[in-house]
Amino acid sequence: MSEFSNRLRVSFLIVALVAIALVSMVSDRRALLRGGRELSWWGSVLLDLAAPVQRLAAVPAGFLRDAWDRYVALVGVREQNEAMREKLDRLADENLQLREALVASGRLERIAEMRDEFEIPMLPAELVGLDASPWFRSVLIDRGRVHGVRSGMPVISEQGVVGVVTASSRNAAKTMLLLDRQSAIDGVIQRSRARGIVRGRGTEELEFEFVAGGRDVRVGDVVITSGLGGVYPKGLRVGGVTAVSEPDVRLLRTATLDPGVDFGRLEQVFVMLRRGPTMELLYAAEDAIPPDRPDS
Amino acid sequence: MKRVLGLLALGALAPILQGVAASVLSVRWCPDLGLLLVVAIALCWRNAAGGVALAAVLGYATDLLSGSLFGQHALLRVFAFGAARFGSRHLNLRGALPRAIFVALLTVANALLLGVTSNFFAAGTGAGLVPTGDLLPHALMNALFAPLAVHGTERVVALLGDDDSSRRLLLIETGR
Repeated sequence: MSEFSNRLRVSFLIVALVAIALVSMVSDRRALLRGGRELSWWGSVLLDLAAPVQRLAAVPAGFLRDAWDRYVALVGVREQNEAMREKLDRLADENLQLREALVASGRLERIAEMRDEFEIPMLPAELVGLDASPWFRSVLIDRGRVHGVRSGMPVISEQGVVGVVTASSRNAAKTMLLLDRQSAIDGVIQRSRARGIVRGRGTEELEFEFVAGGRDVRVGDVVITSGLGGVYPKGLRVGGVTAVSEPDVRLLRTATLDPGVDFGRLEQVFVMLRRGPTMELLYAAEDAIPPDRPDS
Repeated sequence: MKRVLGLLALGALAPILQGVAASVLSVRWCPDLGLLLVVAIALCWRNAAGGVALAAVLGYATDLLSGSLFGQHALLRVFAFGAARFGSRHLNLRGALPRAIFVALLTVANALLLGVTSNFFAAGTGAGLVPTGDLLPHALMNALFAPLAVHGTERVVALLGDDDSSRRLLLIETGR
């Protein structure tokens, strides 16, 4: 009898736990769709506790990686340095020409004015931990609600788009990386202006899905954000095309992208505290739209 | 109580170590420490009610530090616990090899369930089935680490309690 009641108790507990988990998932999904996914007080406390512990635990791993980077992987760095110097010179020339062109079109002054007006506050943040599940790609950053970080805010680095904040606690925030399989953003090929959707694969590569009959996409093309998704401003670098597939039955083609951001070496990022047209100014100052509210 | 706290501490450590391991190793070569711990608890700890509750707590801890829906890993861990418990009653999971094979199969089932729940609860997000190319090496890594995880947890359970509940489940038919 005792064995039977024990089994009954365990069965009831399992059913209750499964039901609670299902309800949690549904409510989390609904919060995510509403765009207002905030952690509960206890979740927030746990995340705040986990952030410093993760940072501490990552120290030995970081030490190993640094040692590898500084001493083992330096072979060929001289050649790389030379190549980068050449590239820098070339880009400086290009930049000068672009400025000249802008001055010539009388838009530089207006752009400067609008940039001051719409400047997006950027909050520097450090990565303190990686995803606890092997099948999801998110990171924990050391800035939270106290610093103005909210769900839905874009996270970038100097190399391009990193991801989007999905949950925040008082002093930490969870950011879904561009690489995550749930990530999808609207992108455009910089050269041909072909539009498509950039999706994460859960690996170190991205895929760019576009209509086969549209404009051309070639290996080496750069994909930037189109600004149409509602999260990222226009013009942020997403990645470079490394391969292009043949059209499938849906007449869609897929290009493989190498992300602009080196996620394996990512340490510092910037949270865009509100969205605005700053990046768009570089493309069409006349069409600039007013900035959105902070929590949009 | 001491045992519960010890296992909770191990459980809190697992997702943190998982995050650290992910910074050094590729996803496919990274063992799922949370899953291994839940399987180990199911095989070593006799208290089924405590075990399944602990598995759910560990799942929620993983959800908190992961990009999954809140509750998704909790659900998966409860299923993993149930499967491991069922396996320990109906299969011979005493040696390292049977445990490794069992964990490899459980890893595949876990990934399938993750894909199904993602497709069902987060349809349209692209979070579907895990690619086979990543899943198989991952299952292999879990299988390799499974005997070690079970052995380690057995030691912890034995160390933190002095009764016989840490012994493996062995049903003896009494005929009654």
